[in-house]
Amino acid sequence: MNRLRFCFLLPARIWFVVLFFAPLAIICAYSLLTRGVYGGVELPWTWESYQRMIDPLYGVILLRSVVLSAAATGICIVLAFPLALFISRATRRKNLYLQLVMLPFWTSFLVRTYAWMFLLRDTGLVNTALIGMGFLRQPLPLLYNDAAVLLGLVYAFLPFMVLPLYATLERMDPALLEAAADLGARPRAAFFRVIVPLARPGIWAGIALVFIPCLGAYLTPDLLGGGKSVMIGNLVQNQFTNARDWPFGAAASLTLMLLTLAALGIFYRRGPKDLL
Amino acid sequence: MKRGLAIYAAAAYAFLHLPLATLVVFSFNASRFTLWEGFSLHWYQTLFSDAEMADAAWNSVIIAVVSTVISTVAGTLTAYGLWKRGSRLLSGSLYLSLVTPEIVTGISLLAFFQWVFRWLGWHLGLFTVILAHVSFSIAYVAIVVAARLRTFDPALEEAAMDLGATEWRAFWRVTLPALTPGIVAAALLALTISFDDYVITSLVAGVDSTTLPMVIYALARRGANPSINAISALIVVIFGALILISERLREA
Amino acid sequence: MRRRHFLFGSLATGLSACRRDRRPRLNVYNWSAYVAPDTIPNFEKEFGVRVRYVTYESNEEMLAQVITGNSGWDIVFPTHNRVPPMSSMGLLAPLDRSRLKNLPNLDPQFQSPSWDRALEWCMPYMWFGTGIAFNRSVAPAPSAWADLWSPRFKGRLTMLDDPEDVIGASLKKLGLPFGSTDPDEIRRAEHELFQQKPLVRAYLNAEVRDQLVSGDVLVAQLWSTTAAQALDVSPSLDFVFPAEGFPLYCDCAVILRESRRRELAHEFLDYLLRPAVSAAIAQSTLTATANAGGHALLPDKLRNSAALYPALDVLRRGEWPGTLPPAAQRLRDRIWTEVKAS
Repeated sequence: MNRLRFCFLLPARIWFVVLFFAPLAIICAYSLLTRGVYGGVELPWTWESYQRMIDPLYGVILLRSVVLSAAATGICIVLAFPLALFISRATRRKNLYLQLVMLPFWTSFLVRTYAWMFLLRDTGLVNTALIGMGFLRQPLPLLYNDAAVLLGLVYAFLPFMVLPLYATLERMDPALLEAAADLGARPRAAFFRVIVPLARPGIWAGIALVFIPCLGAYLTPDLLGGGKSVMIGNLVQNQFTNARDWPFGAAASLTLMLLTLAALGIFYRRGPKDLL
Repeated sequence: MKRGLAIYAAAAYAFLHLPLATLVVFSFNASRFTLWEGFSLHWYQTLFSDAEMADAAWNSVIIAVVSTVISTVAGTLTAYGLWKRGSRLLSGSLYLSLVTPEIVTGISLLAFFQWVFRWLGWHLGLFTVILAHVSFSIAYVAIVVAARLRTFDPALEEAAMDLGATEWRAFWRVTLPALTPGIVAAALLALTISFDDYVITSLVAGVDSTTLPMVIYALARRGANPSINAISALIVVIFGALILISERLREA
Repeated sequence: MRRRHFLFGSLATGLSACRRDRRPRLNVYNWSAYVAPDTIPNFEKEFGVRVRYVTYESNEEMLAQVITGNSGWDIVFPTHNRVPPMSSMGLLAPLDRSRLKNLPNLDPQFQSPSWDRALEWCMPYMWFGTGIAFNRSVAPAPSAWADLWSPRFKGRLTMLDDPEDVIGASLKKLGLPFGSTDPDEIRRAEHELFQQKPLVRAYLNAEVRDQLVSGDVLVAQLWSTTAAQALDVSPSLDFVFPAEGFPLYCDCAVILRESRRRELAHEFLDYLLRPAVSAAIAQSTLTATANAGGHALLPDKLRNSAALYPALDVLRRGEWPGTLPPAAQRLRDRIWTEVKAS
C-alpha cells in the first residue's frame, strides 16, 4: 500500500523541491545580495533591499495594489451576488447559466484585457458610439487610468466570485426565505438578514479567489493603465527588466508573496475549507 | 423580485460576453479603425500568411499539449496518493504554488534556470517553458481530481483487492476509470491555462519558444491591429467550442 | 494497445517535424519592424541556411536574456550606448573586419563613432533621434521640450515609456545636459516631471503611433522613425526636433560571444551592409539607415525626409548619449519609478 503511494507522490515531490522551492530559495538569496552594475547579483550579503522596501514610495505602490484589489473585490461581490442568486433560483438550465459565466474565463486573459483596450480607446467602440449618437462631442478619456485598470480586474475575476457564491446559495433552503416572509420580513430585510449571513462562507471564498490574484496582477495595469498605474506586480517586473536591480526585485516579489499569504491566512480561517 | 433578478442577470451576461463578441464582430471589419466599413476576411488572410504567428501558434500547441500530458499524469497520481493518506507538507505545497502570484513564479523560475543553466551550458527554450507550465498546472490538476475522488467510494477498491487484484490493478481497473471525467476536466483546465499564459512564459521563454500570447501582447503594445481581433476571435471560438463540447460529453 | 501506439507515434512525429530541418541555423533577435519582408527569406535562400528571427520592443527585454551568456542568440541589435557595457561584460564577440567587405558602405559619421572608434564590436545599423510628433491642427505648433508642459495639451499628450528619454527631455527643458549624472540636476528634472504628469495621458512607445494617426493624441514625445511611420500614413501629422537639443541614437548589430556560428553571423552582417538590402529595409520600414550606399538608392521623397534625415543645422543640436555610470543609472531608475507611481 505504502510503496504505491510513495511512487505516486514521487513526481510531485521532486517537482516541488526542484521547480518550486529551489527557485524560491534562489530568490531569497538574491534578495540578500548586492546589485550587479548591469544586472545580476554580486556579493556581499546585505539587508539593503529590504530596507528600501520600507521607503514611502514603495509603500504607496503596495497601498495602491491593496486598495485597487480591495475595490475590485468589493465591486465583484456586488455584481456577482444577484447573478449567483439568479442562477441558484433558476428552475431550468442551471448548468447552461453557469457555463455562460465561465465561458469568458476559459478563453484567454490576454484577449479579455485586449478587448477592453479595443472598447475604451478614444476611437474605440464606446466613444465612437456615444459620439455617433450625439451624446458627446469630444471622446472621453476612458483608457489609461485607475478606473480602466479596476474595470479590467473586475471583468477578469468576476467568474471567481460567482462560482463560490452560487455554490453556497444553491445549498440554501428556499423555505428559509418563505419563513422570513411569513414572519413579516420585507424582501430587503430578508435579503440582508437571511441570505447574506448564510452566504458568508461563499463570500469569503470569493474574496480570496478574487483578491489574491488581483494583488499580483501585472498585465491589466500594464495594458489598461498606460504606465501610469503601477501595481506591485509591475514593480517586480520592472526591477528585473528596465531597472536591472535583481536584489530589490527579489525583495519586492517576496513582499508580494508574504502579502498574499497574509491575505490567504485571513480568508482561510473564515472561508469554508472545501471551497478553497 | 424574480423579474428584477432576471433583468439584472441579462445585463450581467451582456457585460461578460459583449466585449468578446465585439472583438469577434470587428475581426470581420474591412477598415482598420472602429468604423464599420463592410464585411471582409482581410485580417484573417494577413493572419494566416504571417509566419511569425504560425510559428508561435505551433509552439503554443506543442507546449500546451506536452505540459498538459505531463501535469495530468503527475497531478492525478498526486491526488490519488494524497487521497490514500494525506500529507500536510505536500498538500500545503500544492496550495502554496496555487496562490503564488504568477510574476513571482516566473521570476523565481527565471532566476533558477539562469543559475543552473550557466553550469550546464543549456539555454532557455521550448523545454524551459514546458517545465514552467507543468509546475503551475500540477496543482490545478491535483485539486480538480481530488474533488472527484471525494465522491469515490473506497470500498470499491477494497472489494477489488479482496477479489485478488493487486493494488496497482485495483487502481488501474477500478479507480482510474471512475475518475476519468474528473481527469478530463483537469486536463482541459491545464490545457487552457497553459495555452493562455503570458506572464510566466514571457519570462522563461528563449530562442525557440515565442508563444501566441507573446505575439498578441507584442502586437497590442505596438498599437491597434485588427489582426489581434482576428486571432482573438479564433481563440474565443475554438476554446468556447472545446469547452461546450466537453461539458456535453460530461453530461451525456 | 495498438491505438495507444498510434497516438504516441503521431505525437512523436509531430514533435520531430519541427526539428527535421538540418540546415545551419542563425538566431537573430532584433527590434520589431526593422527588416523588409523579404530580407530574411532572401538571405536564407542565398546562403542555404535557416534564420530564426524574433523581435523585441526594448533594450532591456533583450539584455535580460543576453546577460546570462547562454541565451542562444547569435546576433542582437543594442542601442549604441549599450554596446560599451555589453563588451566590458564580455558578452560580445569582436567583429572580424576582413569578413565584412561591405563595411565601407557605412556613412562616414558611422565609420568611427564615439562609442566604438574602430568598429571593433558593433556594426551601426539604423539611427534616429527623439523629438515631438504633433497634429498640425495644434496652433502654435510645439517646437521645444518646454511646449510639452503646456496645459493646452492636457490629456492629449503622451511621453515615451523610457526613463532615459523622458528624464533627458526634462533635463533639456531646464537647460541641463541630457546625460546629466549630477543628483541635484536629476532631482530638478524629476520635479518638472511631477508638474507634467497631470497633463500626460500615458507613457507609451510605439503604441502611440495609431493614436496619433487617429487624432486621439495631439502631441507625443516620439522617436523619429516611429514618427516617420505615422507621418507616412497621415498627412495631418508633423515632427520636430526640439530647440533645446535632443538625443540621437544608433541601433547597432553585434555578434554575441556565446555564438557558435560566428562565420555565418558575419555573413549576415555583411549581407545587411549591401546597399540594395539596406535600401530595401529602409524603404519598407521607414527607418534611417546608417548605410550611405543604401541611402543613395532611396527614392527622393524618403531621402529628403526631414524626420528621418534631419538637415545639418538641426543635427548640430543633437547629441549622442553616452553610457551612464551605475550610480546615476540607479538614481534615474528610482526617479522613474517615483514619477510613474506618483
